[in-house]
Amino acid sequence: MFYLTLIFGPLFLAVVVYALFRNFEGVVKYIALALFAKMLAASIELYNALPAEGYLKLGSFLHVEAFNYVLTLQVDMLSVVMLILSSLLLILVTLSSWTMKNQAAYFSLLIMFSGAIFGVFMSTNLIWFFIFWELTLVPMFFLVGIWGAEQRVYAAVKFFLYTHVASMLILLAFYLLYAQTGFLDVTLIKEAAIATPALVWWLLFLGFAVKLPIFPFHTWLPDAHVQAPAPISVLLAGVLLKMGAYGMIRFVIELMPESSREYAIYMLILGLITAFFAGFLAIYQTHIKKMVAYSSISHMGLVMIAIATVSYEGLSAALYEMIGHAFIISPLFLIAGYLHHKTGSWQMGDMGGIVQRAPYVSAIFVLAGMAALGLPGTMGFIGEITILISAIKVNGAWIAVIALASLISAGYLIWTFRRVIYGEMSPVVASADFKMHKIEFSALVLFAGLIVLFGLYPQPIFDAANQAFAHFGGVQ
Amino acid sequence: MSLFALLFGGALVSPLIKNMALLKLFALLILLWSGYALSQGAGVGLVFFEQSSYVRLFEAVVLIVSAALILHLDKEDHGTITQLLFIAAASMALLESTTLLSFVITFEAVSIISFVLVSNIKDATQAEGAIKMFFAGALASGIILFGLGLFAVSGHDFNASALSVDDTFGMIALFIILIGIFYKLTIFPMHTWAADTYAQVSHTNAAILSAIVKTVVALATFKIFMPFLAQLGEMPIYLLAALAVITMTLGNILALYQKSIARILAYSSIAHAGYMLIPFAAVASTYAPTGLLYIAVAYIFMQSAVFLVLEILRKELEIKTLDDLKGLGQKNPLYALLFTVQLFSLAGIPLLAGFIAKAVAFYAGVDAGLWPLIMIALLNSALSVGYYAWIVKHIYFDEAQTKGVITGRFTALLGQLILLGGTIYFGVIAADIFGVLS
Amino acid sequence: MSSVTILLFWPFIGAVAAFILGKANKKMAFWAAEIVGIALFAASLMLWINYTVPISIDYTWFTFGETALPFGIYIDGLSIVMLLIATGLGLLDIHFAHDYMGEDNDQARYYAKVLFFIGGMILLVIAKDMIGMFVGWEFMGLASYLLISFWHTKSAPANAGMQAFLYTRFGDVFIFAAIGLLLYFVGTLDLVEINTMAKEGSIDHSVALVIALFIFVGAIGKSGQFPLYPWLMNAMEGPTTVSALIHGATMVNSGIYIVARLFDFYASTEALLVVANVAALSAFIGATSALVQREIKKVLAYSTMSHLSLAFVGLGVGSLAAGMTHLMNHAVFKALLFLAAGAVIFAAHHTKDLWRFGGLGKKLTLIAAVMAIGGLSLSGIPPFSGFFSKDAVLASAMVNPDTQGLVSVLATIAGLLSIAYIGRVWLLLFTGKPRDEALYESVKKPSFLWITLPLVIMALITLGLGLYQSEAAEFITGEPYVQPHVDGLLIGLFIGLGLLALIVFGLYYKGLKLTEKISNHPFLKIFHQLLFNGYYVEYMITWFSKNIIVASVAKAATWIDLHIIDAIVNGSVGLTQALFKRLKVTQTGLIGDYAGMMVAGLAALTILMILMEGA
Repeated sequence: MFYLTLIFGPLFLAVVVYALFRNFEGVVKYIALALFAKMLAASIELYNALPAEGYLKLGSFLHVEAFNYVLTLQVDMLSVVMLILSSLLLILVTLSSWTMKNQAAYFSLLIMFSGAIFGVFMSTNLIWFFIFWELTLVPMFFLVGIWGAEQRVYAAVKFFLYTHVASMLILLAFYLLYAQTGFLDVTLIKEAAIATPALVWWLLFLGFAVKLPIFPFHTWLPDAHVQAPAPISVLLAGVLLKMGAYGMIRFVIELMPESSREYAIYMLILGLITAFFAGFLAIYQTHIKKMVAYSSISHMGLVMIAIATVSYEGLSAALYEMIGHAFIISPLFLIAGYLHHKTGSWQMGDMGGIVQRAPYVSAIFVLAGMAALGLPGTMGFIGEITILISAIKVNGAWIAVIALASLISAGYLIWTFRRVIYGEMSPVVASADFKMHKIEFSALVLFAGLIVLFGLYPQPIFDAANQAFAHFGGVQ
Repeated sequence: MSLFALLFGGALVSPLIKNMALLKLFALLILLWSGYALSQGAGVGLVFFEQSSYVRLFEAVVLIVSAALILHLDKEDHGTITQLLFIAAASMALLESTTLLSFVITFEAVSIISFVLVSNIKDATQAEGAIKMFFAGALASGIILFGLGLFAVSGHDFNASALSVDDTFGMIALFIILIGIFYKLTIFPMHTWAADTYAQVSHTNAAILSAIVKTVVALATFKIFMPFLAQLGEMPIYLLAALAVITMTLGNILALYQKSIARILAYSSIAHAGYMLIPFAAVASTYAPTGLLYIAVAYIFMQSAVFLVLEILRKELEIKTLDDLKGLGQKNPLYALLFTVQLFSLAGIPLLAGFIAKAVAFYAGVDAGLWPLIMIALLNSALSVGYYAWIVKHIYFDEAQTKGVITGRFTALLGQLILLGGTIYFGVIAADIFGVLS
Repeated sequence: MSSVTILLFWPFIGAVAAFILGKANKKMAFWAAEIVGIALFAASLMLWINYTVPISIDYTWFTFGETALPFGIYIDGLSIVMLLIATGLGLLDIHFAHDYMGEDNDQARYYAKVLFFIGGMILLVIAKDMIGMFVGWEFMGLASYLLISFWHTKSAPANAGMQAFLYTRFGDVFIFAAIGLLLYFVGTLDLVEINTMAKEGSIDHSVALVIALFIFVGAIGKSGQFPLYPWLMNAMEGPTTVSALIHGATMVNSGIYIVARLFDFYASTEALLVVANVAALSAFIGATSALVQREIKKVLAYSTMSHLSLAFVGLGVGSLAAGMTHLMNHAVFKALLFLAAGAVIFAAHHTKDLWRFGGLGKKLTLIAAVMAIGGLSLSGIPPFSGFFSKDAVLASAMVNPDTQGLVSVLATIAGLLSIAYIGRVWLLLFTGKPRDEALYESVKKPSFLWITLPLVIMALITLGLGLYQSEAAEFITGEPYVQPHVDGLLIGLFIGLGLLALIVFGLYYKGLKLTEKISNHPFLKIFHQLLFNGYYVEYMITWFSKNIIVASVAKAATWIDLHIIDAIVNGSVGLTQALFKRLKVTQTGLIGDYAGMMVAGLAALTILMILMEGA
């Protein structure tokens, strides 16, 4: 029951908090912070309570026998890792939003989002999974649409519609699975181990590919990420995209390993195109946040490549890269947003010499950038090398071309540093005020710390991955 | 006591009460009493009428929504209460009818009361809407009678309790009747009048027509025509599916770029008629009755709620077009929220009744093997998010224009909360609706 | 605390300490770095003194799936020599920076980066596996980027840093790919084991060739070989102490180190020949380009390229001993030359243009002397250390039947030309008349303790090393050293060197005017420009990346993204708009039309139904 309140509690709390504290805005962020801390604690508790293999049942609610429509809450290592990641990011996002305007509504929406996201990762019933999956869109829609930049309306509506269309494919696939097996619970469907038709596989793949996002379904992302306020970009990149990867692993790979192996080549090719295409887009960008957004897509392409191996090691690498991507891209988004906020410009050409005005923020920007291009000692390196190794193992030597992706990353990131961080101070930078709230800065420091910590000591994540995928059905 | 008699009697007595507050109280009491009677197992209690748990649930919902509507009504809507009670009474009868004859009679009764309802005309626009509906309704009645005639000519008994025919002539006759009924359901090609009427008559009347009447007719029709539908071959089922697709697509696309909010909602109502037709086509599935019931229950709550909110907005703030909505979220957060939640429910956003209703109704289609139809329906649903989100965009994302604050009567708010409760309750808890069939 | 622990962790701890302390007090950063530098050098010395058998520590960094990624430590003679170079020269470099960087306000940052840099090099040379090696390799890449663009407020250093990182990164991704390939095809990342397996012949030949070439591409990037050398010259935008560190003590050696470390592996394939050929070409390019540079540091940079290439030639022709001793000798004299040049530049208030100096020998006598020692060693004049190793490299090249031709010729030319360019620098700096009187007047004698002392120490080492060449070679290779011998090579070399020395003396001491005339001759100017711009390789690479990668591929991708992919997405809006307009026509608002449609619809549907049911 406690875990049910973890999902519905925030949904309810969001309304209550907004109603009660609309006129005492300052309080809301503390409530949000306390809630997210509690959620993190609960996730860690789950982590400790997990059995060595398989699922930990947390209960099932709202039975409707006729439709197998049961809110079954159960978690395995994969979902617990996602829970911990999400709650951690929510805390960091709260810290980064410390000086956000219109806080009561903002944090109420964040609270609402937290409930939905916990629902996504905790429910194994397809329909309930889908319910929470869609529910995450609502707070995001408002967060982008209200707090976003100039083109926020276009971005919010595009994001909402595009991902919603993709969700429809997922729902149809779920329907077909149910029609075929008579089960709605993913664990039961897995046990039934039916031969799934190609249609279901493609529907699910395409549905999750949009969220991931994968070329050519990526165009919603730059708009949404760029127009969203920086902390929300973090949430989009850190949690929402991870939902796509999670769905891809849980419903495409775990449920249909045979079909996945059969179509792995398509996943692989799309992943490769994504990694390179987005990399080239990032090279051509002069808009700093768009550059980061394309970089984010490019890295998700790598995640796709790792998933496409349909192997134990590849999935471990994918999980690691998912977490790494969340921690690496987040500070880049936050700093890009901060620079825009301070200089009033998105164009890298208007910036230059930022390091002279904001040395520590610049240092974190460079660190995160270095992580994004795969520098050892950071999470980026471990992610890339494990993906490389696992991909070569499955696909053969030619896949080593993905090493070039990190060269492309180096290209656009180093060039960005040159244009933004280093060089002579531009007049815009000289006249801007680069003060940053201490708490928002502390969030950046935490991100930097996480990047280095897990970059040097990745074993905990791989231990979790080993536990998550060691008994994954059908995966070699 | 008979449910029908209670409501009918209440309706007859109601014009005698001149004081609006008293009248509302009286109507609510009647509805409460009816609810109590319903809970005690009372039905229409006449021959050719029969109550099942399936019908009973919906009757309860109709009573609840009627109560919410009555809570909403204003002084000038004096006559509306009477008509609403009549409609409620006729609805009970329509829902419980078991033979084609009783069905057609009660259907026409509902039609007639609807005409009376819309003839409560205050200006030229409303007159136009009413007249369009009247003409279309007359035409539809003619078609139904035509079909009924054919049915009789081909030697069928329209008092038989099971509507099963085995000859082509009878089939065609029933099909023609069905198409006549489609007028009330606003299914292509009988939908043409609907958008104009819904948008032009008063929003309260639009709520009654598009929410209560439409769902009641849909459910009753399905109940009566189920044996007939089950007999249809593959091709006619595809024909129905095609009608569903055309109706929903037409409704959604025409809703997209409208400027008047009422028009958007009117077209969205047509689109929803398309969704409601899916269980008709998917009659082979055991989920079809549940799906239709669910979509009817969800729809009656959310559709009446949006039109009623719109009525308040129009009355107090003169809001008619999307541009008028700008900044509503900042000035009137409560009504903006009520409106938004119901719109999202219409759009099929989860944890609201609209989602799970679609989920079940659409599943019936997949279950019946019509997955391409469901694919189109799902994409349509996604398309519809476009205009709902566009309304929400105007409410929240645009800068506020100088505008007053809604004072709002408490009873109206209470009515809204009842409808909101229904939308959320049936969005989370599906057991009640599934329960009636198991 | 064991020496290994100190070497592994202190540089990084020291970097943090130097930064934090330096933020409190500028001077503290230096002292933190100096102390750590001494500790590191002492630890390396301890390892050397106590060396009997290679130290080998196995450690698993992490395991994912069934794959374990190792991070072991392996210290043998080769590693110890590299450690001594890195820490010893690093220490002197830090010491030298006390004055050289003394005026800078950002010393905390400087020393932190320098220690990080040295830490990267240490990690590189003591790593047992490709992974650890790559980590150190990339740490240096980062550190060099940060140090070259240390004076980032100006465009040129910022550009130079970017260029250094990208050029080396280009090579790095090949090593990165090689790691994946090694693990898949060879099954191990252990450098020692790879060598053993290669010797046994248990690695597939073509696989080994590809992997070896991939790793060599990385080495090309890091060690400034053709065609990835231009970054080396532009890196001169950084502080001279950083140049000394990069060119003498650490970074550029790493490419040679990795080939040396995997020498048996390379020797098992034809990759070694590729190494020799590329290196010989690079040696030639470096030596010729060094002849005409205007800036002191650029001359030295090209000479670094040329001499590293000679070391590579040594390896490439199959002599590990020749290559590595040359690397070792070069490290010392090149650090000496750089720091000496740094001393001159420092004394002359950061002037780098050779043509503004002249006659400084009177003022900076001691520096002139140590620079002469470095220069002579570089030129390969006995008894200085450079002579022995250069001779060994050339002899080895001529002995090897595969490299007797072009490789030997190019390498010999490069070896001979060194006296020309270093003599030119020395003459222009210290002899003749001051060409910029004001500058000359302002030159002050630098402090002995902080500037001259490290130079003297290095000069002494350069001298001393000459005596221990074969011992060093044996220590590095662990095999008895046989000096290769080619008849007449020595005589030939001396004659060549003497002739060149005379020409340079004539041109730059006696006939400066004539020199100017020659270099301004329209026809010769073409050659001058070609050499001065380093054979325009940088232009080509820049042109390619700007015009092909950015302006063509990336631009095309952006165009496709915007005008095709996103246009389709956004076009769906237009599609619905068009549909909306068409459908709206049906909503005429006229009840007559509506009724007509209803009846027509009824008729059509009924007919359809009759057709279906009748059939």
